[in-house]
Amino acid sequence: MTSTGNILVVDDDLLNRLVLSTNLQEQGYDVAMAENGRQALEMLGSQPFDVVLLDLVMPELDGFQVLEQMKHDSAQREIPVIVISALDEMESILRCIEMGATDYLPKPFDAALLRARLNASLANKRLRDIELEYLEQVNRVMQAAAAVESGTFECDSLNPVAARGDALGQLARVFQNMARQVYAREQSLRQQVQELQIEIDEVKKARQVAEITETEYFRDLCARAQRLRQRNGK
Amino acid sequence: MPKIVSVHSFRGGTGKSNTTANVATLLAVRGQRVGVVDADIASPGIHILFGLEEDKMGHSLNDYLWGKCDIQQTAHDVTANLGNDVKGRVFLVPSSIKAGEIARVLREGYDVGLLNDGFRDLIQTLELDVLMIDTHPGLNEETLLSIAISDVLLIILRPDQQDYQGTGVTVEVARKLSVPCMMLVVNKVPAAFPTDEVRARVEQAYHAEVAAVLPHSDEMMALASAGVFVTRYPDHPITAALKQVAERLSRSG
Repeated sequence: MTSTGNILVVDDDLLNRLVLSTNLQEQGYDVAMAENGRQALEMLGSQPFDVVLLDLVMPELDGFQVLEQMKHDSAQREIPVIVISALDEMESILRCIEMGATDYLPKPFDAALLRARLNASLANKRLRDIELEYLEQVNRVMQAAAAVESGTFECDSLNPVAARGDALGQLARVFQNMARQVYAREQSLRQQVQELQIEIDEVKKARQVAEITETEYFRDLCARAQRLRQRNGK
Repeated sequence: MPKIVSVHSFRGGTGKSNTTANVATLLAVRGQRVGVVDADIASPGIHILFGLEEDKMGHSLNDYLWGKCDIQQTAHDVTANLGNDVKGRVFLVPSSIKAGEIARVLREGYDVGLLNDGFRDLIQTLELDVLMIDTHPGLNEETLLSIAISDVLLIILRPDQQDYQGTGVTVEVARKLSVPCMMLVVNKVPAAFPTDEVRARVEQAYHAEVAAVLPHSDEMMALASAGVFVTRYPDHPITAALKQVAERLSRSG
């Protein structure tokens, strides 16, 4: 069965972990398990997850602390967190949602409810991933503009954005084309400036000058020019 | 003191006649009386820029050189064709555009010494402040004479290896002729070339002053020979650069 998402189950109760993980695996999810908050954070730091199912009351780091640390980590703050809690802990549930938890799952588990909430969270996660990727690529275009201004732009840096089929992709392709044209013009300018090198063949010049100046006419002209200037009052 | 300015280029097509016509006009705008001699007898053309129609040309420089008339009779006042801003005057001495007469002068030659007499007479009788001589490209006898009697030699070149070499020869020859003042005008410079860089490199290469660097201009190309550019485009950057040349010529000598 193809995986439909990577789920991290965090619960200090072995039975709960096993029940949840079995259920999730049957639904086609890849499941990893952590038995406390510290272990959960270590796993979150080392591999990608699409959703975290988080118990609140645990030794070492509890669910609140895990949630708090996740929300302070730019790589983890977008991962949906579904709090696992008994319905009589409603105050804690509300606190978690205020801290950024996506949803809650009451104990004991209901398979249909678990599936529905996971699907909703995963759908939101995927939309958010798309949104984040879009924003990241918009940022790349903005960085490209800054790089053009500072003369450090490399055309290939926009390839991932240019590969998109939407308007942003078109913008990146137009940007790349313009940059390539500017680069080509710069190359042409450098070529032209090289052509501006003024190279005079001194031997050839001396020969050409001699052909003119070492003639009777020229010698006479020099003398005449002097007389003419004197005659013209110069 | 009236001054003689020879405008020369080693090769054809540099914009020599255009520069001559425009600078002459700008000098006249400044109130000066300017004579322009089309000494490019083999391939005349500056009369077109000044709007002098062929059937109204009357006597030409050729007639004077063959003793058919006085030099004054060859001078045409073209000031009226240059608009209302011209406070001075522009007189044009055209060369004949008749094929037979061009062939004859090339075949038989003429007494180049007469040119100097003619120039002097023009300056006196027309009370000129400046006489500009539009010379034939290359360094033939009459061109050498024109250069030799000039107070100022204005050499036009393009940013092109052949022009660089030829201009080197012209500069050297002009120095041997002890021309009092020599200036370069770099014309038809591609827009991509930095003007100051061009000026610096040319001045360094020839140890001579660059009076102006004129960028290539589509407007100039489009106007072609249909008129004097500075009167049609008074606010154009090329006009501004040509004004520098006129200003520099006014200060010379």
